[in-house]
Amino acid sequence: MEVIHCENVTKLQGKAKALDQLSFSIKENTITGLIGRNGAGKTTLLKILGGLWRETSGEVKVLSRRPFNSLYVSENSIYIDDAFHFPSHLNLKEILREGERFYPNWNRTLAERLFDYFEFHPKQTHANLSKGKRSTFNMIIGLASRCKVTLYDEPTAGMDRAVRKEMYRVLLKDYLEYPRTIIISSHYLEELEDLLEDVLLLDNGKKVLHLPMDELKEFAVGLTGRSEVLLQWLRGKTILHQQNAGPNELYAVVKKEDISLPEAQRLGMTISPVSSSDVCVYITDRGQGGIDRVFR
Amino acid sequence: MLQSDGTPIYLQIAEWIETEILKGNFQADEKVYSQYKLAEMFTINPATAAKGLNVLANENILYTKRGLGKFVTKEAKAIIIHKRKNQKLKGLINEIVMEAKRLHVREEELMVMLKKAMKESGGQSGGSDSL
Repeated sequence: MEVIHCENVTKLQGKAKALDQLSFSIKENTITGLIGRNGAGKTTLLKILGGLWRETSGEVKVLSRRPFNSLYVSENSIYIDDAFHFPSHLNLKEILREGERFYPNWNRTLAERLFDYFEFHPKQTHANLSKGKRSTFNMIIGLASRCKVTLYDEPTAGMDRAVRKEMYRVLLKDYLEYPRTIIISSHYLEELEDLLEDVLLLDNGKKVLHLPMDELKEFAVGLTGRSEVLLQWLRGKTILHQQNAGPNELYAVVKKEDISLPEAQRLGMTISPVSSSDVCVYITDRGQGGIDRVFR
Repeated sequence: MLQSDGTPIYLQIAEWIETEILKGNFQADEKVYSQYKLAEMFTINPATAAKGLNVLANENILYTKRGLGKFVTKEAKAIIIHKRKNQKLKGLINEIVMEAKRLHVREEELMVMLKKAMKESGGQSGGSDSL
């Protein structure tokens, strides 16, 4: 079942298109990584899906309804970012209590256990938390709310590596216990990728790729070999990235489906995997011709 | 536990289960871990774990009991041993061929070397297993 469906969604911000004719859909109970460079449109998309912002044109459906101004979507979805604002007169414990009042599936036990584990104090105020602590607290709200649609916008911003690792594990364990549809935007794709089922890559408000994580990991390969042999052999094929790899040696990244690996081996090339985060960087690299080279 | 050497996670999961079968930790007709158990163990998406299990089911190392999960086939051990032998040997032979090419060693010369090496190591002519 589709939980999120976007068709030709455009969002204008002034004259700029933050989202540009974006179409995709997301299945129920999947974890999708939303990837893209700064300004690619990730936050805009998540805020529209969460009903916080209104799309300029196109069709947005979350749980079969238009999210903007929908109380139903608001009750069944949550958008978490590091600018999450709470009334300043509430302390942390009171914020949790309000969360419980609003979200029908709120898991109090989980909220309290995480609250203690990460050593928060009930009387602390949200505004006085450090950046990493604030992200941790916000993520606890996102987890405990157990909303059908959970939208995390850079949820681990400011967290140290140890806390990020713990949070990924909490996210996964709680998802296994209580499956729901999750979208996470992050610049830490390599840390997050094992958790993801699918990846949605945006660039300039457009969709570049939307595919299973496993396929993204096998999307490209790196070839190292004698420059003229390599360039000759790759003539007419899309080179996503290239750089010198020694005297007269070249390293080139190409789409796996474009080439024959046994042939590369026969030609004496060294074949190496390309990490998914590198793939994302290469195909959104404007200097190289990026997406057009991929979809020639 | 998982490596980030570029091997897809679902294949690493499949290999992990294979190794457990070889070690005797999962016996024939015994249930292996579910996709959810594997997901929890390795902190991976359950869909990835399911893909690993399906790889093994397609290779007749596991079979499915509807609603109960995946179980080890009677032939599992033999299939895994056979597969690993072939993959490793094939890889080594590819390396030999590559090196021979770099050194301009011709096929006949290589065959002579191979035969000599086999003779020296005991001279058996090998089984009928296809490579």
